[in-house]
Amino acid sequence: MAYVSMGEAHRRITEYLNRFCDAVSDQDSLTLCRLLSFSSNSPPLLSLADALNVFQDASSLIGKSDKFSEYGEILAHLFRSLQSYRVGNLVEAYLAFDKFANAFVQEFRNWESAWALEALYVVCYEIRILAEKADKELTSNGKSPEKLKAAGSLLMKVFGVLAGKGPKRVGALYVTCQLFKTYFKLGTVNLCRSVIRSIETARIFDFEEFPTRDKVTYMYYTGRLEVFNENFPAADTKLSYALQYCDPKKERNIRMILKYLIPVKLSIGIIPKDELLQKYNLHEYINIVQALRKGDLRLLRHALQEHEDRFLRSGVYLVLEKLELQVYQRLMKKIYIIQKLSDPARAHQLKLEVIAKALRWLEIDMDLDEVECIMTILIYKNLVKGYLAHKSKVVVLSKQDPFPKLNGKPVGS
Amino acid sequence: MNQGGNTQTVSPLDSNSIEKRYGVDGSQVQTSPYQYSTGSDGASWTTHRVDNQVAQNGNYYHPQPPVPATGNVQEIPNTSSATSGTVNVAQDYSGYTPYQTSSDPQGYSNTGYTNYYSGYQQQQPSQSYPQPVGAYQNTGAPYSSFQNPGSYAGTPSYSGTYYNPADYQTNGGYQTTNYSNQTAGGYPSTNYSNQTPTSSQGNYTSNPYQNYTPDAANTHSSAAATTPPVQYQQNYQQWPGYYSQTEVPCAPGTEKLPATSAFSQSFPVAGGVTNEMPASNGQPVTSYTQPWRQETELPQPPSQQPAAAVSASNDAYWMHQTPNQQAYYPVPPQNQYQSHLETKPLYETPFQGHQRATYPQELNSQSSIHQAPLGYRQPTQTTPSVDTQRVSKVQILTNPRIASNFPSGYTKMDKDRSAAGATQTPAYVSVSMSNPKGHTTAMPEPGTFPKSLCGFVERAFARCKDDKEKASCQASLKKIITEATNDGTINTRDWDIEPLSTVLNTDVTNTEPSSAPISSLQNKSPTRRPKSRWEPLVESKPFVKPASTFSSGVKFGGWNHHNVNNKKSSESYQKVDAVTGSKPIYSAPNSAKKSFQRPVKRQRFTGGAIDDEESSDSEKELTPYYSSAMSLASSADEKKRRDSRSKRFEKVQGHSQRNDIPKPKNANVRRGNALRLGEDFDESGSRAVEDMDWDALTVKGTCQEIEKRYLRLTSAPDPSSVRPEDVLEKALLMVQDSPKNYLYKCDQLKSIRQDLTVQRIHNHLTAKVYETHARFALEAGDLTEYNQCLSQLKIVYAEGIEGCTLEFAAYSLLYITLHSNNNRELLSSMSRLSREAKKDEAVRHAISVRAAVTSGNYVTFFRLYKTAPNMNSCLMDLYVEKMRYKAVTFMSRSCRPTIPVSYLAQVLGFACTSSEGEKETDGMEECSEWLKAHGASLIADSNGDMLLDTKASSTSLFMPEPEDAVAHGDRYLDVNDFFTRT
Repeated sequence: MAYVSMGEAHRRITEYLNRFCDAVSDQDSLTLCRLLSFSSNSPPLLSLADALNVFQDASSLIGKSDKFSEYGEILAHLFRSLQSYRVGNLVEAYLAFDKFANAFVQEFRNWESAWALEALYVVCYEIRILAEKADKELTSNGKSPEKLKAAGSLLMKVFGVLAGKGPKRVGALYVTCQLFKTYFKLGTVNLCRSVIRSIETARIFDFEEFPTRDKVTYMYYTGRLEVFNENFPAADTKLSYALQYCDPKKERNIRMILKYLIPVKLSIGIIPKDELLQKYNLHEYINIVQALRKGDLRLLRHALQEHEDRFLRSGVYLVLEKLELQVYQRLMKKIYIIQKLSDPARAHQLKLEVIAKALRWLEIDMDLDEVECIMTILIYKNLVKGYLAHKSKVVVLSKQDPFPKLNGKPVGS
Repeated sequence: MNQGGNTQTVSPLDSNSIEKRYGVDGSQVQTSPYQYSTGSDGASWTTHRVDNQVAQNGNYYHPQPPVPATGNVQEIPNTSSATSGTVNVAQDYSGYTPYQTSSDPQGYSNTGYTNYYSGYQQQQPSQSYPQPVGAYQNTGAPYSSFQNPGSYAGTPSYSGTYYNPADYQTNGGYQTTNYSNQTAGGYPSTNYSNQTPTSSQGNYTSNPYQNYTPDAANTHSSAAATTPPVQYQQNYQQWPGYYSQTEVPCAPGTEKLPATSAFSQSFPVAGGVTNEMPASNGQPVTSYTQPWRQETELPQPPSQQPAAAVSASNDAYWMHQTPNQQAYYPVPPQNQYQSHLETKPLYETPFQGHQRATYPQELNSQSSIHQAPLGYRQPTQTTPSVDTQRVSKVQILTNPRIASNFPSGYTKMDKDRSAAGATQTPAYVSVSMSNPKGHTTAMPEPGTFPKSLCGFVERAFARCKDDKEKASCQASLKKIITEATNDGTINTRDWDIEPLSTVLNTDVTNTEPSSAPISSLQNKSPTRRPKSRWEPLVESKPFVKPASTFSSGVKFGGWNHHNVNNKKSSESYQKVDAVTGSKPIYSAPNSAKKSFQRPVKRQRFTGGAIDDEESSDSEKELTPYYSSAMSLASSADEKKRRDSRSKRFEKVQGHSQRNDIPKPKNANVRRGNALRLGEDFDESGSRAVEDMDWDALTVKGTCQEIEKRYLRLTSAPDPSSVRPEDVLEKALLMVQDSPKNYLYKCDQLKSIRQDLTVQRIHNHLTAKVYETHARFALEAGDLTEYNQCLSQLKIVYAEGIEGCTLEFAAYSLLYITLHSNNNRELLSSMSRLSREAKKDEAVRHAISVRAAVTSGNYVTFFRLYKTAPNMNSCLMDLYVEKMRYKAVTFMSRSCRPTIPVSYLAQVLGFACTSSEGEKETDGMEECSEWLKAHGASLIADSNGDMLLDTKASSTSLFMPEPEDAVAHGDRYLDVNDFFTRT
C-alpha cells in the first residue's frame, strides 16, 4: 500500500464526497454506480479506501459541510464499510454496508423519479456479493454463516420499495433475480414463491416491459424451479424463453440455460443435435443422448454414474434417471425391428426371454419377474402399446404404432 | 411457553394480593393487587380492564361502585393471560360478541366477559389452576369477612359482584330485577332469589331457625330438601343461559366440574351458616347469599372449588376465622366419609351410624362453647342434610341440557371427591334422614365422646379401603376408645393428633392414605388402573410417597398453624383435604386441555350456538379422560410433581405465612420437613421464572434411580431428580434390554434425553440415546419421534461425535424417498453422501430402494424389502401399501387377461417372511384379502387357483381408507392413550 499523506487523504476524501453529492444532485446514476461499486475494485475506490485508513476522522469531514452532512449517514456507513473491505475484514464491511444500504434505500424511497435505479442495482448486487464473501470468512472462522440470509431479507425490503406502482416498478425484476440467486445459494428456494407470485400476478405492469436482462434471468430461475418440480412442459417454456432472449454472445449464460433445458427436452422426447452439445461444451450429456438414441441402457447408467455429482448438484439427476424408461422403449423398438426382419408375422410378440437376453448382452442381469415389471411399467406409461400375457410371458404389441413418440409430452401423460 | 410465562408472572402478584388482604379492607385491597399485576403484564389487556370497569360501573353498579370494580378486577388476571397468551382464543370469543350483546340489553362489555372466559380457558391448559383460583378466592375472602361482622351493606353488593359473571350471561331482564331488588333495600329478598324471591326467601328464613333448634336435624334436612329445588332449578336455568350465550365449548367441561364441586361446597356453606346463625345474629340473608356466591363462581375453572380447599388464599382466609368459609374444609372429608357409606353399604355398621349421629349432638351441645373456632367442625355435622339438599336438587333438574350433563357430572364427582352420585341419591337421603334415629337409638354414650374423638374415628374409617379393613379398624377403635374411657383420658387426649397408625394395622394404609382409597374410588373400573403406564413405577418408587404428603402439608401450611394453635387441627382432615382438594386441581388441567381446546375449534363451525349434542358429546369424551386423569393424579409420584409445580404459585404466600405467624415449634416432624422442602421448591421455582441463567441451570445430577418417567420440565431442574451420566448409561442399557412396550421405552428415553439436555451432555452417550430412541421409534412406526431424534442426531453428528452415521444416513435417505417426496431434499441428501458412505451396505440398499421407488419397480422394491439391513425395512414398511397398490394398478392396466394371485403374493412381498411352504400359502390368503380390500376382482380358474381379472380390476381398484384413521390425523391420540402417551 502506497504511503498516503494526510493532506492527500483529505483531498481524496473530499473529492469523493463532492462527486457523490454532485451525482445525487445531478441525478447522475452512472457516476453514482461507479462510486458505489465495491467489487469492481476500481482504482479510485481503492485509493479512497487507503485514504480513509490514513485519515481516520472522515465523519468530521462529512459533518463540516452542509452539503455532505445531508447524506451524512449514508456516507459514514459507506466509508466504514469501504475501510473494512480494504483491510479484508469482510464481516465488518458487510455490517457497515448493510447499514449504508438501509440508509440508501430510505433515501431512494424519497426520490420521486427512478433515476437512481441503476445505483440501487449496484447496491443490491454489492450487498449480495459482500454477504457471500462475509459468509465465506465466517465459515473459515468456524462460525455459522448467516450474512447471506440477512442480505436476503434486505433485498426483500428493497423489493418491497420497488414492487409498488410507479416508475420504480421496472427495477423490481432485478431485485427479484438477486433474491433468486440468494435463495438458490442458500437452498431456500421455497422462499422464491412469494416473489414469483407478486411478479406474475401483478396486472399493473406487463412482464414484457421489464428489461430483457432481468427477464432472461428470471425465466432461467423459474425454469429451474419447474425442473425441481418435474413440471417439464412449464420448464420447457421458461427455459426456452430464456434461451431465446439470452444474448447470443454470452456463451456462459447460454450454457447455464442449456444445462437445464437439455434434460427437460430429453424428458419430453426431444433429442438435441451433437453440435449443440459440442458447441456449448456440454459433454456430460453426450453419452446420455447417445444412450437414448441407441437404447443402450448400460451407457445411460454409466453416464449417470460418471457425472453423478455434477448432476446431483445441478439438480437434474432425477430427471435424467427417468430417461431410463425411454431407453427401454428404444431397446424394445430395436428388438421389435429385428424380429420383424426375421419373422414379420410374429414380430408383434416380444418374449420376455428375448428381452432378458438383450439386457444380458448389455451386461444388465434381470430375471423374468423384473423384466415383466419393466414391461408392465412401460405399457402403463404408454411407452409401449400392447399388453403383457403373464401366463405365456409374452408382450403382445399393438399392430399400430407400438412405440408411440412422446412428441413434446412428458412420459406417462 | 407463553402460557407458562404468563401464569408464572402473575402468580407472585396474586400472592401479593393475599398478603395485602391481611389488612381486612376487602374491596380496596382487591383492586390494588390486580392493578399491580396490570402494570407488569403489559398493555394488551390493560385496555380491556379499563373497558370493563367503565362498562360495568356505568351500567350496573351505580349503587355500589367500588364493589363492582373489584369484581371486575377479578376477571382481569384472566384477561391478561388470555390476551397475552394466545390471540386465537380471544378471537374465538370476540366472534360471539354480537350474540352476547343482543341478548344483553344492558350492554355489558362483551370483551370483558369473553376475556374472562377465554382467560381461564387459557390457563387450564397451562396448568395454572392455582392461580386463577387464587384470584377468585381472594375476592371471596374479603366479602365474607364483611359478612362476618354482619354488615348488611356489604352483602348484597358482594353477591352482586359474584353474581355478575352469571348475570351477564343470563338475560338482562333478570339482572334488572336483581338490582332493583337490591336497591330497594330488600336485603332479605336476597340476591339469589331474583326470580322467586318470595318462595326461596321464605324457605330460607325458616330454614335457619329450624336448624337452630337443637333437634332440628330432621326438619332441617327436610326443609332443605324442599327448598333447594326451587332455588337451584332457577340456578340452573341461569346456567344454560350462561353457557349458551357464552362459550359453549368450554361449557361442557366447566359445567360438569364446577357444578358438582359447587354443590358439595356451596351447600355446606349454607349449612354452616345456618348453624352459625345464632352467632351471627341470625341473618338469613347473609347466609344465603353465600351459597349463591358459590354458585356464581361456577363459571370459573372447574377446579376452582376443590382448589379452594387447597389454595393459599384460603389459608389467608382462615386467618380471618370466617366461619362461613371454614365450612369448606370439613366438607371434603365428610363427603369422603359418606361416600364410603354409600358406595359400600356394608360400611354402615351400627357403629358408624352411631358415629354420625353423634355429630349433630356434638354440634348442638358444643356450638355454644366454641363458636367461631369450631366453624370448620360444625359443617361436618350439617353435611348430611346438605347432601340431601344437593341430592334433591339434582333430581329436580328439568332442563334437559343440564340434566344430560348431570349424570356424568356426578360420576365425576364420585371420582373426584367420592361423593354421592345421582344414582346413589336415595341412599343418601335415607342416611341423612336416619340420622336423628341413630342419634336417639344407637347412641350408647351420646355426646360423651369429645368431638375430636369423633373426628378421629371418622378419619380412621375414611382410610379404610375395604370392609375387612373397616372391620379391623372398628375393632381397634373400639379398643382404643374403651381404653381411653377406662383411664379417663377420653376427654383430655388430643384425638386430633392421635396417630391413626394405632388404629390401622397395615403400613400400607398409613403410607398411602392420601392416594389409595380415593383412587380406588375414583376409577370407575379399578381394573383399568393397573394398565396405566404409571402404575408399576409408583410401586417401584416408594420413597416418593412421603414426599407427596410433605408437599400437601406445605400447601396447608397456613392452615396447619392455625389448627395447631387452636388445637383443633386434625391430621386426617388435612390429608384428606389435600387429597380431595388437590386432585381435582391437577386433574383438571389434563381434562381441560382436551375438553377446552377442542370445543373451541368446533365452535368455529357451530357458530357459538349451544346444542345439546355438543355438550353431551364432549361429555362422553371427557369422562374417559377424566378417569384416566384421575388415575394419573392419584399416583403419589405424579401428585408430588404436580404439587411442586403448583407450589410456585403459593410461594410468596408461604413466605408471608412464615413471617406473620410464628412457626409451630412442636409441629410434627413431617410437617417441618414439608416446610423446608417447600422452601427448596420455592427457591428453585422462582429462579426458573425470573432469571434464566442457563449456566446456573446446568445441573449436575445426583439421582441414582435408573428408571425415571418423563415429565416436561416447567421449572428449573432439580439436581436430586436428575441422573448423572453413569446412571444414564445404565438407564439406557436398561431400556434397551427392557421387554416392555414402546410407550414405556419412549417415555424412559425421553427422560434420559431430558436429563442429558439439562446437564448439557453432548457426547457419544447423547448420540447413543438418540440413536436408540430413533430405532425404537422406527420399530414402532412413530415417525414424529423418529424425526425429532434424527434432527438431534444431525446436530450431534455435525459436532463430530461418533455414531452410527451411515446407518442413519440410510434412514434419512429412505425417509426422504418414501415419505417426504421432496426432490430437492432428496437431491441434496444424495449429494451429501460421501464416496465411502456409498459403499456402506445400508446406504447402498437405501439408494437402490430409492431407484426402485422412483422408477416404480415393484419387483426390486420387494426384493430389497426382504433383504433390508438394519431397520431399513421399518421405513419401507410404511411404503409397502403404496407400492403394492401401484404395482397392482400397473399390472391390471398392462397385463391381460389374468394374473395368478400366487404370483402377486410372491412379487408383492406377501410371502416374504420365510421360505417355508406354509408361509407361502399364508401369503396367498393375505394377498387375496388385500386385493379384495382394494377393489380388485378375483376369479378362480379351472384348477381352483385364484386369478386377478386385470381388465375388470383396472377400473375398480381403489385405495381404501385406513381403518384406524381418525379425524385428527393421529390415530395414536386415542382417548386413553392420550394420557399414557404424554
